[in-house]
Amino acid sequence: MAKRDRTSSGAPDCEVDMTPMIDIVFQLIAFFAVITNFEETQADERVKLPRDTLAKPPEVKVEHQLVLNVGFFRDMEGEKTDAQPWLFNFVDGEPVLPLSAGRQLTREANLFSAKGVDVKEVTVKVRADAEVQTGIVQELIKLCQDAGFETFAMSAMSGQEE
Amino acid sequence: MARRRVQSKGEKLETNMSAMIDIVFQLLIFFMITLQISEPEGDFNINMPAQGKPTNPEDVPPFPDIKVKLQANPDGTLAGLFFGSRNLGIGPAAFEQLNIEILKVIGRPGDPITKEMSVEIDADYNLHFSNVINAVGACTGRVDKRSGNIVKYIEKIKFKPPTPPGGGA
Repeated sequence: MAKRDRTSSGAPDCEVDMTPMIDIVFQLIAFFAVITNFEETQADERVKLPRDTLAKPPEVKVEHQLVLNVGFFRDMEGEKTDAQPWLFNFVDGEPVLPLSAGRQLTREANLFSAKGVDVKEVTVKVRADAEVQTGIVQELIKLCQDAGFETFAMSAMSGQEE
Repeated sequence: MARRRVQSKGEKLETNMSAMIDIVFQLLIFFMITLQISEPEGDFNINMPAQGKPTNPEDVPPFPDIKVKLQANPDGTLAGLFFGSRNLGIGPAAFEQLNIEILKVIGRPGDPITKEMSVEIDADYNLHFSNVINAVGACTGRVDKRSGNIVKYIEKIKFKPPTPPGGGA
């Protein structure tokens, strides 16, 4: 309850009990801190993933992974503005044509090797847009294989097709 | 030296909370802004060693690959889903049928023999990737309606090398 008193100057001194507010604010902070996922920063929101009921989040966390976002430039309504798919958020944040990413993939493989990680143990997570041509995804996988990667994971949204 | 008064006189010890509240609100705003609400994502794991370098050359696959073909229209939509040489049609019903056909082949889900089986997906170059994911899903298993768990069918999925457009059928 607010307590009212008079100071020496005669002005009323209002004291507000801050405890409930601080309680709520700490609850909110705890909530946001728990649900914030800082690890998904490699995912690019321009990629509209396909949907499948069997796509369930992995139970075991992958230790080493390389994320490849293959998607299209889209406008505010989600319509494609360019028919050409791009590799987003890959090297230096600049979009790269998927079929010309061979050198960068080799560089990524060398970086993993330099860190003492066997490239064969690195999972390449392919986050390809639902409308990307399958052949392009396959050719990208082939480039990854040429760079030494062997384990792949294809991402999809959980749930029924709309 | 600080002077201490007797508590019974009713003096209240006051702490200046404003600094803490400032920090706490800063944290709250930071978390609210950085929050990204995203739908849960799942992965289909596929082991694909480079061609010409089989993992174990002495291993001869005991079963031939189950062939699944996906034909595309010029606009990338699915023109036909084939299980072997049989056309299962298009749309979700075709993928459900594929799921049933795979179950017929494996007999009993979870049988150790299914570990030896593999599916080879042959998709047209320009086919939309979502169809491939649906085909992979239909071959990999199904979700048990009662328990909500995944019943696994075949986990080894292969892809036929792509044929670039103009490079033949």
